[in-house]
Amino acid sequence: MRTVLERWLFTAFAITLSVPALAQSGPIRIGAINPYSGPMALYGDEVSRGYQLAIDEANAKGGVLGRKIELIRGDAGNPQQGITAAEKLATQDNVDIFVGTYVSAVSNAASDTALRYSKLYWDTNALAADLTERGLPNFVRSGPYARSFADISVNGTKELLAPALGKSVKDLKVWIEHEDSIYGTSIAQRQKALLEKDGAKVVGVGAHNFRAIDLTDSILRAKGAAPDVWINTGYVPDGNLLLRTMRDQGFKPPAVMLVGTGDTPETLDALGADYLNGITVVGYPRPDQTETFGPGAAAYLAAYKKKYDRDPIAPQGMTAYVGMQILLEAVAAAGSTDMEKVRAAAAKMDKPAKSYATGFGVKFDQQFQNERAFPTVVQWQSGKVVTVYPKEAAQPGVKLISLQRQ
Amino acid sequence: METFLNILVSGILLGGIYSLVSIGLNLIFGVVRIVNFAQGEFVMLAMYATFFLSTLGIGPYYAVFVVAPLMFVFGLAVQRLVLQPLQNEPMMQIFATFGLLILLENAVLALTRGEGLSLAGPYSRVVIDLFGLKASGVRVIVFVAATAIAIALMLFLHRTMAGKAIRAVIQDRQGARLMGINVERTYLLTFALGSALAGVAGALLAPIYTLSPYIGGNFILAAFAVVVLGGLGSVPGAYIGGLAVGLMESFAGYYVDPALKQAIWFIIFVAVLIVRPSGLLGRAGAEEVGLRAEAP
Amino acid sequence: MKPPTLPYALEAPPPAFARALAAHAGLLLLSAVPLALLWSNPYWVNVLAYTYLFAALAAAWNIIGGFGGQFSLGHGVFFAFGAYAVARLHLDLGVTPLLALIPAGALAAIVALMISWPTFRLRGPFFAIATMAINEACFALANYADSLTGGPRGILIPFRAGIANLIFIERWKYALLMFCFMVIVVLIVVALRRSRLGHYLLAVRADEDAARAAGINTLAVKLKGMALSAALTGVGGGLFAMYVRVLDPPTLFALPDIGVKFALISLIGGIGTIMGPVVGALLIVPLESYLRGTLGGAIPGGHLIVLGVILVAASLFLKRGIVGGASSAWNWARRRT
Repeated sequence: MRTVLERWLFTAFAITLSVPALAQSGPIRIGAINPYSGPMALYGDEVSRGYQLAIDEANAKGGVLGRKIELIRGDAGNPQQGITAAEKLATQDNVDIFVGTYVSAVSNAASDTALRYSKLYWDTNALAADLTERGLPNFVRSGPYARSFADISVNGTKELLAPALGKSVKDLKVWIEHEDSIYGTSIAQRQKALLEKDGAKVVGVGAHNFRAIDLTDSILRAKGAAPDVWINTGYVPDGNLLLRTMRDQGFKPPAVMLVGTGDTPETLDALGADYLNGITVVGYPRPDQTETFGPGAAAYLAAYKKKYDRDPIAPQGMTAYVGMQILLEAVAAAGSTDMEKVRAAAAKMDKPAKSYATGFGVKFDQQFQNERAFPTVVQWQSGKVVTVYPKEAAQPGVKLISLQRQ
Repeated sequence: METFLNILVSGILLGGIYSLVSIGLNLIFGVVRIVNFAQGEFVMLAMYATFFLSTLGIGPYYAVFVVAPLMFVFGLAVQRLVLQPLQNEPMMQIFATFGLLILLENAVLALTRGEGLSLAGPYSRVVIDLFGLKASGVRVIVFVAATAIAIALMLFLHRTMAGKAIRAVIQDRQGARLMGINVERTYLLTFALGSALAGVAGALLAPIYTLSPYIGGNFILAAFAVVVLGGLGSVPGAYIGGLAVGLMESFAGYYVDPALKQAIWFIIFVAVLIVRPSGLLGRAGAEEVGLRAEAP
Repeated sequence: MKPPTLPYALEAPPPAFARALAAHAGLLLLSAVPLALLWSNPYWVNVLAYTYLFAALAAAWNIIGGFGGQFSLGHGVFFAFGAYAVARLHLDLGVTPLLALIPAGALAAIVALMISWPTFRLRGPFFAIATMAINEACFALANYADSLTGGPRGILIPFRAGIANLIFIERWKYALLMFCFMVIVVLIVVALRRSRLGHYLLAVRADEDAARAAGINTLAVKLKGMALSAALTGVGGGLFAMYVRVLDPPTLFALPDIGVKFALISLIGGIGTIMGPVVGALLIVPLESYLRGTLGGAIPGGHLIVLGVILVAASLFLKRGIVGGASSAWNWARRRT
């Protein structure tokens, strides 16, 4: 590990020598690498809107280090495009720092390219665990990742669903469904391991493709196993199709939990408020939680509505917004945009949970994964999503309503 | 047993979806000899048109009577302006339809930002329950429509002059031309008809799915497989091929693994093709035609 | 039935080998000019690296797709097999990728023979669709075969710079590597064009039945052409693997980015011509990168709308590709004088 790191550092050093130092004036330029075209375009765009809102906020206060901040977008939907976008941002647009990324494979290739220019790659939204495990000297992840989602979904199952169903975890039968890319697969694998460790019975694990035309087979398989809890990690189109098929096939597991998506109007439009009532969703923290848990969440919501003239489509944007805030604080503390100095400043940051709009705190582990960034659990209640877990995130008076499917 | 029957029903209904998408594609493929890569995007366009009409209070089963004619006109325009000038360049036609595919997908993405849209309405919740056998109402409608369209199209092709002209062109372009059939006009009519059928498919499928600009791509490969499996230009072939693919997919998904169902039926598809290159109901030798240009 | 019209380059008798070699070497050198001009600009050098790689891959596709007339849309399979083979040999056995490219190419050729032997019974669009279906089946299988491909997580190749690892710090070295690969592929194609196999492939393309009647074993000819094409594609996949170093199924099997793209590049440059794929790649790859870079962030999908319009327009106005069009124009001009 150590020798790999050294080689990286040497590489970075060698390149630093060959690139003429740019004048430390003018705006701080931040390159945002995300898919802005292709099937993930909507979410890439939402994430970058979050960055823009945090930047607007900082610029209104005079910027950072006395410099204004400017966001430049780089469109990438696969690793090859990730490299090209990072090259363009580094050499044509002369960005100082990179942020991203809605697609993990893109983050992987783009951060690697950023290192060639000794630029920090500050990831706010990518989920794959191996991004931080690589030990790249320019990589930081401020948001939750696959493991956090798996952990919270399992904790939520134990602490919320099992008591509500009146069962102990050891008697719980769980079906784990997931889409078959790295996102769903890595979360499902960890869910299975954790649930089995706690003595729950995983009655089946099903994988499906998010572009599938029909998912009746997946639902009938789960129905045959008669689970108490049915957990699905997926995207919007497949998640909606699964729920619709479930309704058609009369499959009514006592509790349904969705992970990652399923908390947006896209799902409400497809299924209707009545059907969704009681379904829980493990997702990125939402702007509708308490101010004590997420100070600034209401202000974010107001700023989003003002700038884009509608409600946020997905909560991913707020996690990106907070990620950008943490980055700018680290830059201010470092007094520089230099990757090593910012990382050193970030390593010193120690903020308790509930410091940001998402309820995150800041404490980076050795691999520069933020240990205090977690998703929350929400529940559909009469056509609205309401934050129910952790308890302190829930608005006063909010209770878990019956999970039972009608 | 009940599970088996449920799988059977869901396979047949899925087959209805595939048949509906494939019939128009097969007509175009069989007559105009174009591999229309953009056919899935035609369906996608029709879905968005149906969604737009639903926001005006027009349900999908009324919207189909607006969307299908619109797609007919759209098909006329595409055939006349893009594909007809390329009639003797079959490979460039593939290229052009691929360009159309990219264009249509991204035009819709730019207009909608890619937000997943669903038709609101009570119809998608109707479930027919027969002794524990469950069938979603909207899917049953798709199946009935696919069957009706297959029959109507058969009647059209066998009973009307225009239909007979189309069949003549399927069988022998040269011969048809010698018999005084206006081949270009037949192409135009067929391509437009195939587009209109994509319009019908889009309107009827809209209540089943969450719309995205890329949804057309989810149908197209299966539809191509159905067309080839059924046989070039054969309407009953496309219908039965669709059912076969739907059943294979359902049974492979349930009894083997949903993650492998695509791989399994694609492999079966290639295997069938190798044993019977002309497809299940295709005219033997049709596959020999190849991507060749017609002599001017 | 009149035999199908072919681009000029196919109809003309091949010039003497030495002359052909010299002419194409000159053209290839010409294609190195952008690299020479832009070599200090890493962004464009990176784009050129892809350009040369895709030029080589399209030229490899062109062997069976253009000369042989077998419109394969499944070359993504050979590309992926090559990429996975190089990555596995490099990571598990410590084989230098430079050497691993050879078994990667061989594996791709074997896979191609296994797939093609049955599918060559099909012709034209049927063959195209069957190969596309095989690409999709392999996509699903690669996702499933965790132990071989890393499944959806994919394979990550760590950064260890050095010629033995084919991993470089400077982008221009990659560009040079890809350029060399392109030169090798094109020279192979030049030689093939003059060889017996080359003539047979053209005969199969022109009229398979007539070729068989003339005593050509058409299946063997197609299989040989496919094996050569797939082997070069597999090598290209291996080079891609060492460049991008992130190998997951959606990256390797995506039809619009890989399998179909080889065919598109050949078509726009001039299918069945030697330099067509190179010209096509020099045009399409930088154009696409430029459009993505300038428009991609502004309107969702904006650059692809422009690209789609360009593709449709190109098909209408460059019916025989750039090289095909240029050579018939040249021919016409020569006849006039």
